[in-house]
Amino acid sequence: MLNDRPSGMHDVTGAVPLRERLVAFVRERWELVALVVCAVAPLVVPALGGALGGQVTTLFIYCILALGLNVMVGYTGLVHLGIAAFFGIGAYVFAILTVPMYPFQMRFVTAAAVSVLATAAIGLALGAPTLRLRGDYLAIVTLGFGEVVKVTLRNLEQITGGMKGLNPVPPPGKGVVIGGTDLGLAFAIDPRWFYYLALAALAVVVVAMRRLEQSRLGRAWVAVREDELAASAMGISATRVKLSAFAMSSAVAGLAGCLYAASLSTTADPNAYDFNRSIMVLCAVILGGLGSIPGTLLGVALLVGFDTVLAPWADAAIQQWNINPSGSSLLSFSGWRLAIFGLALVLVMRYRPEGLVPSRRMAAELHKEHP
Amino acid sequence: MVGWKYTSWALAACLLGAVGCRPADPTLVKIVSSLPRTGSAKQQSDTLVRGIRMAIEEAEGRVGPFRLEYLDLDDSTAAAGQWTSEAEAANARRALQDPDVVAYIGTFNSGAAKVSMPILNLGDLLMVSPANTAVGLTKPGLGAPGEPGVYRPTGRLNYVRVVPADDLQGPLSADWAKNRGIKRVSILDDNEVYGKGIADLFDERCREIGIEVLGHDSIDAKAQEFKSLMASIKAANPDLVYFGGTTQSKGGQLAKDMVSAGITALFMVPDGCREQVFIDSAGAANLEGRCFVTFGGLPPEKLTGKGSEFVERYRRKYGELPEAYAVYGYEAACVALRAIREAGTKDRRAITDKALAIRDFDGALGRWGFDSNGDTSMRTLTVSGVKDGAFRFEEILDAGDEVVAP
Amino acid sequence: MQFFLQQCLIGITNGALVALVALGYTMVYGIIRLINFAHGDLIMLGACLALTLVSAFGLAGGGMVTTWCGVVLLVLLCGLFCGGLNVAVDRIVYRPLRNAPKLAPLVSAIGVSFIFMNIGLFWLGPADRSFPELLPAANLLAGDGLQFTAKDLLVLVVVIPLMVALSLLVKSTRLGKAMRAVSQDPTAAALVGIDVDRVIAFTFFVGGFLGGAASVIYGLYINTISFQMGFQNGLYAFTAAVLGGIGSIPGAVVGGLVIGLVRSLSSAYVGERWTGAIVFVILIVILVFRPEGLLGRGTKEKV
Repeated sequence: MLNDRPSGMHDVTGAVPLRERLVAFVRERWELVALVVCAVAPLVVPALGGALGGQVTTLFIYCILALGLNVMVGYTGLVHLGIAAFFGIGAYVFAILTVPMYPFQMRFVTAAAVSVLATAAIGLALGAPTLRLRGDYLAIVTLGFGEVVKVTLRNLEQITGGMKGLNPVPPPGKGVVIGGTDLGLAFAIDPRWFYYLALAALAVVVVAMRRLEQSRLGRAWVAVREDELAASAMGISATRVKLSAFAMSSAVAGLAGCLYAASLSTTADPNAYDFNRSIMVLCAVILGGLGSIPGTLLGVALLVGFDTVLAPWADAAIQQWNINPSGSSLLSFSGWRLAIFGLALVLVMRYRPEGLVPSRRMAAELHKEHP
Repeated sequence: MVGWKYTSWALAACLLGAVGCRPADPTLVKIVSSLPRTGSAKQQSDTLVRGIRMAIEEAEGRVGPFRLEYLDLDDSTAAAGQWTSEAEAANARRALQDPDVVAYIGTFNSGAAKVSMPILNLGDLLMVSPANTAVGLTKPGLGAPGEPGVYRPTGRLNYVRVVPADDLQGPLSADWAKNRGIKRVSILDDNEVYGKGIADLFDERCREIGIEVLGHDSIDAKAQEFKSLMASIKAANPDLVYFGGTTQSKGGQLAKDMVSAGITALFMVPDGCREQVFIDSAGAANLEGRCFVTFGGLPPEKLTGKGSEFVERYRRKYGELPEAYAVYGYEAACVALRAIREAGTKDRRAITDKALAIRDFDGALGRWGFDSNGDTSMRTLTVSGVKDGAFRFEEILDAGDEVVAP
Repeated sequence: MQFFLQQCLIGITNGALVALVALGYTMVYGIIRLINFAHGDLIMLGACLALTLVSAFGLAGGGMVTTWCGVVLLVLLCGLFCGGLNVAVDRIVYRPLRNAPKLAPLVSAIGVSFIFMNIGLFWLGPADRSFPELLPAANLLAGDGLQFTAKDLLVLVVVIPLMVALSLLVKSTRLGKAMRAVSQDPTAAALVGIDVDRVIAFTFFVGGFLGGAASVIYGLYINTISFQMGFQNGLYAFTAAVLGGIGSIPGAVVGGLVIGLVRSLSSAYVGERWTGAIVFVILIVILVFRPEGLLGRGTKEKV
């Protein structure tokens, strides 16, 4: 399967048939291939300029969110049940900095930067007192934090607009005129602008994660996950390492939040950042394979894609082909959505408990423990 | 420079046209609706969709020179169990990008309308809501700062609603309470756009006309019981408890817990609870004689003329009396159909303009028209009580113009 | 003062119900370290069955004796149903994952919870359903002051004996000893001849039985059920279990009562709208100062 690191370099030397070389290339540089495919897709698939484009953009944003969560759950081994709260904080801070209601009205990039930093700071503030908690106790603190954030966003109406949310969040590049076209207007009209923006952000995050994975810090995360005591004995400060994971994870989630608010042109209501969302993203990360970047992306594509792309499409198709004239919920796709979703989770975990695309390290570990 | 601007607009428009899934069919128009079709609001949206379908069926597949198709989109997701911004935005984009779609019926929830209105506005696509009542969507100065301009990025109107907004319902409910001799009220809301909006208006009006407001709290619509809350309300001892919210946001549970806490006050709810499911979920005995529901327009059994014909046809077709909202679904679809017929073209702007220009509509709801904000001129509200497990019409509250806040 | 007492009474009754659900979490967690996300939805299915039985046998409107006998019977039937279902899920879903990475069963549990919800959706329909009022709403306490009805009594009457029975079971029986042994070290337990899988299955049964009992009480006490009720139930119960010290039976009870009291007092003195936040703020604060929960024991680090 796909591997984390280039492997089998020696296979592709010499006179190897073109097809195999191609396969090997795809395996090793899957990010590049995926990026090129995604970048070319809108030019080939016209539907991406329509509603589908918006849905795929959302998918990219969730990929970023999941990569953020992966830092904590995958690399550092800390179960986090409240990632949606940081997603929400990112979205709200970004909105406060840009909506006409507030005096700031910053540009997209500035607002996004500030909001990412703010989210990271809040992550640190939550992490600092709670990091000595172990395993599931930490999990419930993050869950509780998520609920607190949701209720607070809902109740602090003066600041967050309550259930109305903050809107309209202006599109990126509003007021920037290129060739007579207001860039903001272009963003608002053609979903492909956001598609490319989200894709670019995702690419940056993937590259950053890849670099982090192999950096000193990334290896420290994994060391702490594997054995905190041994890591401390080796001179790694577990607290600092965990805190940095908390901050990094929150920052990336905050970035996803900015993009989310910008692409919907509203923060949506606080319910968009509730426990369900955290769980969905957590499932995606575990389903794909803990600590594995391609796994995480695949997990999100399957789970979120199912709910936001496939299910609405299937429902519309059932109507258009008039399969279900009586409107019975037994015959509609949405009637079965939860069960299909649940069954998929159960089956994948049953047959691939290490995830769909496990990271090499995880796979090796499992192999060692249970030959 | 002006030329550039138009060119870029035209370019954008071409782009829009070029990227559609299919080439436009010149003989086909589509109407879509976007309503919560999964989760707890399904029952109410079912009746709306039935109303819409009846209007479509009466047109017999044709409107003006075009063939007519209808697509029933869902703005809720299974995972959320209620409408979500993402699904609503996706529906709006989908409608916008499909050149055959000329009218968008929706939304049910006012919060959802805030998401799709600015999107649809970009394409001048006609949006007819059968159920949004939040004032800020259309009325300048009554909602949050910036409303309703923020929903109209092009500065033009494309949104109309066939249901009276809450600036009538909230205050008139307070007036009704005053007339009934209510002196002290406790107010609750579900913290949603609709529920909180109407509860705030009720609250404001109560203070104006000298009804004492003992407390105003928001509930969590996901909470399961409100026994503590009701103990607090019992201690405050109001004459009436007002709940701004819907059946889906636990209207029924509140009524239940009120009774079991031993509160004898009256219970008043807005139109979001005017459905049989509300009575079922609360338990008819808990509402009997003490619960009052306001509703914009006449209840189905009081409709006359075309309205009573609709009720009769509905009963024949589905074997039951329509819920109060069915007729609004029907009326919204009729408005869309009339606009398409009058415009006689697939040009969205032309169709939208025809709808906005409706000043005299003889429909199932009676004779009414749209004002310059796209609001209905209908100013009738009714109050119903609950008797023998069903809604029983009590009285008509007619709003003169003076009730409307500036 | 009377108002305060009333709120405490409500808090304790609510808390007892939360505790009953929390026991299901804590037992399963204690034995296989799994946060059983499907537990709340298991209870929802129990409530579906309870509603179906009540409607089928026309329990509503019977006499005093019929009603109480009916309630006992309902508790037993729904308990058996949920217990059996829980065992079946364990056999089919969790047992193959005993040696899988720690988070795999968690995701499976979430998956099971979705499947249960879908079954509930078909069973109940999308809207809230009213559960018949079987018990009289009359106040049992004299005077106009405190309100304590047969429903509140029912909660305490069912919950307290069940908890006592459970502690006795775990503390004093052979099976209970085996459960504790498996909880401490499954491998060692297997080595001394304990059938680990059977003990785990039994634990699932007991947790499910308590959930089934909770579902009946829930229906009778709250009087509304819906296919989405599992989530909120599970959230508070899970929180209660962790607050008390997950894996500890008295901890779950204490945690449940604390959550119940915090909820009712914050609703009374701060406002209903902040209740959700206050519960979790208190949870976080308690965990910061007592990282193993109120009654939990510290885990030793393995070196």
